[in-house]
Amino acid sequence: MTTQDDRNTTMTRVLVPLAILEGESVSAGLTTLLEPMNVTVLGYHVLPEQTPPDQARLQYGDRATDALADIATEFGSADVPAEYRLVFTHNRKRTIDRVATETAADAYAIRGATGPVERLLVALTGDVAVDRICAFVSALVAGREIDVTLFLATDHEPTGRELLDRAAAAISDHAVAVRTELAVDEPPFDALLDAAIDHDAIVMGERAPSLRSIVFGDDAERVAAGSVGPVLVVRTDAEDAKSTADRSAQTAAADVESAGDRDAPDDQ
Amino acid sequence: MGDPPVSAEGTNIDGETPAVEPTSVTDEATITDDAELERTLGLSGGLAIGIGTMIGAGIFIFPGLAAGQAGPAAAASFALGAVVALLVALPASELATAMPKSGGGYYFISRGLGTLAGAVVGLSLWFGLVFATAFYLVGFGYYAVDTLAEVGIAVGEGFVIPIALLFGAGFTVLNVTGTENAAKLQNGIVALLLSILVAFLGYGSLDAVGVIGASATPEQFAPFGAFPVVTTAALVFTSYLGFAQVATVAGEMKDPGRNLPLAMVGSVLIVGLLYVVTIFVATSAFESQTLAGFGETAMVEVGRHYLGAAGAFAIVFGGLLATMSSANASILSTSRAIYAVSKDALLPRRASRINLRYGTPHVALGLAGGPILVLTATGRVELLAEVASFLHLIMYGLICVALVALRRDEPDWYDPDFRVPGYPIVPALGAIASFGLIAFMQPASQIVGIGIMLATAGWYAYYAQDVTLKGAL
Repeated sequence: MTTQDDRNTTMTRVLVPLAILEGESVSAGLTTLLEPMNVTVLGYHVLPEQTPPDQARLQYGDRATDALADIATEFGSADVPAEYRLVFTHNRKRTIDRVATETAADAYAIRGATGPVERLLVALTGDVAVDRICAFVSALVAGREIDVTLFLATDHEPTGRELLDRAAAAISDHAVAVRTELAVDEPPFDALLDAAIDHDAIVMGERAPSLRSIVFGDDAERVAAGSVGPVLVVRTDAEDAKSTADRSAQTAAADVESAGDRDAPDDQ
Repeated sequence: MGDPPVSAEGTNIDGETPAVEPTSVTDEATITDDAELERTLGLSGGLAIGIGTMIGAGIFIFPGLAAGQAGPAAAASFALGAVVALLVALPASELATAMPKSGGGYYFISRGLGTLAGAVVGLSLWFGLVFATAFYLVGFGYYAVDTLAEVGIAVGEGFVIPIALLFGAGFTVLNVTGTENAAKLQNGIVALLLSILVAFLGYGSLDAVGVIGASATPEQFAPFGAFPVVTTAALVFTSYLGFAQVATVAGEMKDPGRNLPLAMVGSVLIVGLLYVVTIFVATSAFESQTLAGFGETAMVEVGRHYLGAAGAFAIVFGGLLATMSSANASILSTSRAIYAVSKDALLPRRASRINLRYGTPHVALGLAGGPILVLTATGRVELLAEVASFLHLIMYGLICVALVALRRDEPDWYDPDFRVPGYPIVPALGAIASFGLIAFMQPASQIVGIGIMLATAGWYAYYAQDVTLKGAL
């Protein structure tokens, strides 16, 4: 298991999935935000079951590769473009998961519309350990003029406050300004979207699939749709997920997760 | 994957070359040099394609016809069919794990035996699937009319073909305009169908052996002798045409080394068992001549015999689901078969065009749907079934031959995860049995089948004579 220090010294990798043949591209704000990161651009094309992926590759492969290569130079430079991969698939989620695992990506991006990112909202939710989210945010904002707001929705104020303070302390060495925002006894999803209004982008933790996510869609997707701006989703890694589960009975992280689990907004 | 295989060569009359590129296969994706192709089908998806394609015919269309020809020994005909299917499913599994690509049987034969055999099989498979789909659709028409009759709307048999045509056109349009959940729907239909069948056949078997209710109708097992058992096996072999369709989606199957053999062999074993029990239950309920008199939807009367109106309704409902899933799965396989030959320049490349709006292969689906409707309009159930079987059996026999050819001189790229047990006896028997069953078909079916094969060979000679595919992985 890597330590906190190891994480900060190794480059953090972010996967940027794009429906490449539907003309998806990234806003300049997101490109700039991800500058300190190692970026892998994942161009994908989702096909209905009646179409073999290979058939689509035959017809669209060249066009998709051209478009991807262009976007890759936006993330890197013309000389050293970002890595890119092109996948034809029936199942978008499975493709993102597989490529994220293969590239050992720490997070994946849901593109959105934004100008320069000056204010970043960090939601301490999901199944990802708070330490991991903090490490990611530190690497993201280090040395840049980006204000960070740490957000938590909970129904138990003291533990929530304690968790926010601990996270703020962890990030404050790297960020220019850190604020905290605690939503107590509010529907977490709506509270998060309210908080997102005066921010340019959101960082949040990945969440394991649940019945609710099957019915209403993935949490992060819904946040992205509701907030319009880009969302960076920090992935659980296998060891973190395990240790989080081990601790979850007694720590505040459990509160965060369960608070999230109880909301069931259905505004989609 | 070993050394770079031989590359495909030659051009067709339109100047197109086969689009063959080196790929490497992982459990989760196929990786070409510029893109990855995600594998998204699991074992249950593969079984649903195999079982979903097969089950429509064997249980819901054939029992009456088969019992009329062979008596209660029709159960032996189905068992014989299952054995032949297994003898082919095993070699096909080995080839599929060595070449987990779209196209299935066509792909194995064109790579193992060369372009002529490949072209004949690939194009014949297109027509074989078209005949099979038309057959399922006519069966669907009968069940639709019976369903209406069960709910009190008697429209008569004159509506069978119009209904079949309507739904045939409907499935084609639905596949072009695309429902992303088609596969999930198919899985659900197959699961529901299996539950209905297991419950019904379980009850029927208990009744037939006299555990509950009155004991069965005593009748001689093979009243017409042994020969009709074999000819009936040739007829009902259409009920086993689905297992090779699993190989047409081999390129999309996760962990192909494990899932392909399990899906192919597993679906044959499951439906084979269900067929044999179905015939046993049906011939225990009625004398075979009575069953034959009920025609395509004899099972409805069997359901009524055991469970009254509820049983009859369960069977008509099951029959609707089953023939629908068979027809729909076959339309999808047809479009993949057309894609596979068009990719190899044996048909114009535009046959595999995908439309931008829906992302579906509308040309290939049209090339499937059009001929299907023409054949459905004929309404000749037995001829449709036998021609479909004929064309599939040719492919099955050649699959076995291709396996032997590849094994005798294994190319570097040939590295199957699954190797057929009992080589060379199993593929040899598979080939003999496949070609042997053809001999027992009606002359009319044989003439139509041979005519189609000659036509496809003629097309190859005219259109794509220069194309070389042997060993081009």
